[in-house]
Amino acid sequence: MPSNPSTWRFPILIIVLVVTALAGEVASAADNPDAALVEQGRYLAIAGDCAACHTAPGGKPMAGGVAIATPIGSIISTNITPSKTSGIGNYSLEEFSAALRRGVRADGQRLYPAMPYTSYAKITDADVKALYAYFMHGVETVDHKPPETRLPFPFNIRLAMMAWNWLFLDTRPYAPDPAKDAEWNRGAYLTIGLAHCDDCHTPRNILMAEQNSRLLGGAELGAWFAPNITSDADSGIGAWSVDNLVRYMRDGHASGVAQAAGPMAEAIDNSLRYLTEEDLRAIAVYLKTVPAVHDSADTKPPFAWGTAGDALSTIRGVAVPADRDQWSGARLYDAYCATCHQAQGQGSFDGGLPSLFHNTTLGRANTSNLVMAILDGVHRQPDVDMPGFANELSDRQVATLSSYLIQRFGNPSGSVTVDQVKTARAGGPSGNWLVLAARLVIGIVVLILVAVPIIALIRRRRSVSV
Amino acid sequence: MMPDVTAADFVVIGSGIIGSTVARRLAEAGASVLILEAGPRVTRGEVVARFRNSPRRSDWMSPYPPAPWAPHPIYQPESNNYLLQAGPYPYEAEYIRQVGGTTWHWAAHAWRNVPNDFKIKSLYGVGVDWPFGYDDLEPFYQEAEELMGVSGAPNTGSPRKKPFPMEPVAEPYAMRRIRERLVPAYEVVTNTTARNSRTYDGRPACCGNNSCQPICPIDAQYHGGLAAQAAEQAGARLIADANVYKLEHDERGRISAALYYDPDKNSHRVTGKTFVVAANGIESPRLLLLSASDKFPRGLANSSDMVGRNLMDHPSTSLTFDADEDLWLGRGPQSPSSIGIMRDGAFRAEHAPYRLDFTNISRVDGTTRALIAEGVYGDEFAQRLRHSAARELNVKNVLEVLPDPNHRITLSEQKDAMGIPKPQTHYSIGDYTRKGHERSQRDFRRIAELMGGSNLRFSKEGDFANNQHICGTLSMGDDPKSSVCDQWARAHDHENLYFAGTGVLPTCGTCNSTENGVAVALRTVHHILGEQGVRPVSAPPGQG
Repeated sequence: MPSNPSTWRFPILIIVLVVTALAGEVASAADNPDAALVEQGRYLAIAGDCAACHTAPGGKPMAGGVAIATPIGSIISTNITPSKTSGIGNYSLEEFSAALRRGVRADGQRLYPAMPYTSYAKITDADVKALYAYFMHGVETVDHKPPETRLPFPFNIRLAMMAWNWLFLDTRPYAPDPAKDAEWNRGAYLTIGLAHCDDCHTPRNILMAEQNSRLLGGAELGAWFAPNITSDADSGIGAWSVDNLVRYMRDGHASGVAQAAGPMAEAIDNSLRYLTEEDLRAIAVYLKTVPAVHDSADTKPPFAWGTAGDALSTIRGVAVPADRDQWSGARLYDAYCATCHQAQGQGSFDGGLPSLFHNTTLGRANTSNLVMAILDGVHRQPDVDMPGFANELSDRQVATLSSYLIQRFGNPSGSVTVDQVKTARAGGPSGNWLVLAARLVIGIVVLILVAVPIIALIRRRRSVSV
Repeated sequence: MMPDVTAADFVVIGSGIIGSTVARRLAEAGASVLILEAGPRVTRGEVVARFRNSPRRSDWMSPYPPAPWAPHPIYQPESNNYLLQAGPYPYEAEYIRQVGGTTWHWAAHAWRNVPNDFKIKSLYGVGVDWPFGYDDLEPFYQEAEELMGVSGAPNTGSPRKKPFPMEPVAEPYAMRRIRERLVPAYEVVTNTTARNSRTYDGRPACCGNNSCQPICPIDAQYHGGLAAQAAEQAGARLIADANVYKLEHDERGRISAALYYDPDKNSHRVTGKTFVVAANGIESPRLLLLSASDKFPRGLANSSDMVGRNLMDHPSTSLTFDADEDLWLGRGPQSPSSIGIMRDGAFRAEHAPYRLDFTNISRVDGTTRALIAEGVYGDEFAQRLRHSAARELNVKNVLEVLPDPNHRITLSEQKDAMGIPKPQTHYSIGDYTRKGHERSQRDFRRIAELMGGSNLRFSKEGDFANNQHICGTLSMGDDPKSSVCDQWARAHDHENLYFAGTGVLPTCGTCNSTENGVAVALRTVHHILGEQGVRPVSAPPGQG
């Protein structure tokens, strides 16, 4: 990577060139939409899950306005419909490409990496062209501008992202590995490119950049946990069959293995379930080759834990304690869970209501998703709706119940504390030391990285004006 | 301890499905609302835990033990003698005094009346006419249905301007077979119920636990606990364990305060601008009678002497028989289907109309107890239990009762644990209702015949089961001499006293009273807010 601080001017130069040299091409492209190209772009936009951030719940497609929580504050997604006043209707192909793959807006401002341009950087030129055709001709124009993102100082200095990009953005599109077949290469392209699985599943460093050494190795995601999906059999998805991975991505669940909830359910609802069988299979094939990230605490696959069973003998004929916080896990399970998951955790005969043993959510050492499934429920299109119990169960009850579930049906090395439930209920560890440290470090680095080029600029101007 | 003082624009007494719904709408309109509930807060998990732990699974009150400071009637395993019976026929009403009230256990029937139910005096010369008609109530039925999440079939005789919020819950196999075999003699319709057929308002779809009574373990059916929660979320303040024992009035007869006991019998005083008594058809008149003063010696709102009178419910008789095919009652909700052809007709001049209602309650518990009582054991037990579980059917009538001032709630000489006089009932089954019962026997026989029935067991002649649809004791009407409140449920005698509940219904028709009570109360809210120049909020429920 270039280390000369003057390279920050390069993207602006590109934009200047784009605007001046290619302005005429926008109009001509806009007049001749290629229907097949638009449709191809539509599929790619789904695979890229643009709607996840750019379509508000119940709002117009791609009209933006979704507040995306990040450790440095809420980032509000923009209108990316072809509106010339509020959207990206004036973008040329090159401007579109720069925004998508390098995080640079048409006005030269830097996007925050909440926009996964570090992943989208892998998108091929041909796919960018299709996406552009779709966004210009396949999306309804919405002339409404969502509110601007307003982050606190110093994060409001978008210029700082230039330095961040300099450190962390690899601008090279995906280059197929000639040693691997087309299916694997397609899978890799989707996984770490367009579908940007790595954005959630790869842990980030103190500057919020992905740790490449632990690619897809699992990461906290607010109160949820995006699990390890490397090829490791005990910590990742190595023990899953390709068929089960495909099933999971397409249907949201694979019986006897796992079911999607939280942000993963959204990814499936909005994106993965619409992908072709071939693309899903390609992703699965690729995932099974991702270098294993192993946690020594994991001694067998998460879905291999637990058996059917109950503790009814401990509660039948025993008076119900008046203090609900004193209820045993078996009592809570009987009152709140057994109705659907059945007395022994076996779920429904047709798998529509999952079993709790042989269930990844209970077999993982990280118990965040178990707690969140209890608090928030499980909601997937078209008709999966496990209710959440946040309003019904206290922190202690959730902790007691979770511990019972883990001990009986899951990996007994996991545990759930009352504090953990309290934190999850508040939306995740936003106030913990790691996030505070991240904010502090990012803030300092931002100031340094911004200060250096600005000082350089001022010096230069002075020298010019003198 | 000195009484403390609390105040609100609206004081709602009773947190059941109707009182809470009123409180919710008032709070949504920006008013300050205080709900006083005699009983404790109870969670669904506790009720489920008690039900699962109860040795008396068919005693639907067993998961609802009464609070000592706010008792409600209990009859099993023995009567707690809270609701005293003055006869001649016992009126053993069940209700629940806790936050959310009696709809914690119900079959979630959420029927509209048929249009002629509103004018049986004019049309058939019996009972009384309502002070308004079906069309006046139609939008409020719809509002109630959207709040409660009601599904049903369109062919139930109650016209509607908008569709149900959702499709009916899947028809259980037994009900499908009954419907198929009774055609064309009878049209069997899906009941209108506040039960989810899909996720609605954040609550899941019915998954067929078949324990609607005493408790839906997953909140697939709406209940007053949810209504109370919604009221609190809308900003209403709810005080549980606040047993109101007296309403005070000023010299002009306006209600000025409600006095309540906490569980330790400390007295508290709550003031308000407007009072809404929503404590059900027995406790509401009881409170008015308890509040007698020098100015109102017969009790509040009682210049007509109609408070507590015209008590109505739905008596039922039934036929149990064995079909000639396996039907396996117990899959799906407990009460999915009925026949409505006898709900209205010229015959109402002569005898009570009725709805015919098929149970879908699993036969296992009842049969087991019967066989053990009979001394049956071993292989025969297994064989007969299996036979009954597969083939036994039950159909009952739901009979209309006419308003009769002699059927009434009064105050007993006896007092409850708080030293407050207990309620007492005076009740009988009138000829009109008995004749309806007689007429329905024909239908019972015909239905059994069409189902290839054998082993016909009619309920004991003269015995009428009760359905806990307490109506009439605060009847609304235009004439202050013969009714307690006007068409807006405002007491004729007190400018700032309203009623919300099934007690205000002037007649009981042939359908479960809850939705009528909710719809009439929503109409009351609309009127109150209109009078006060506030635009009512009709927020459609979320459908997440």
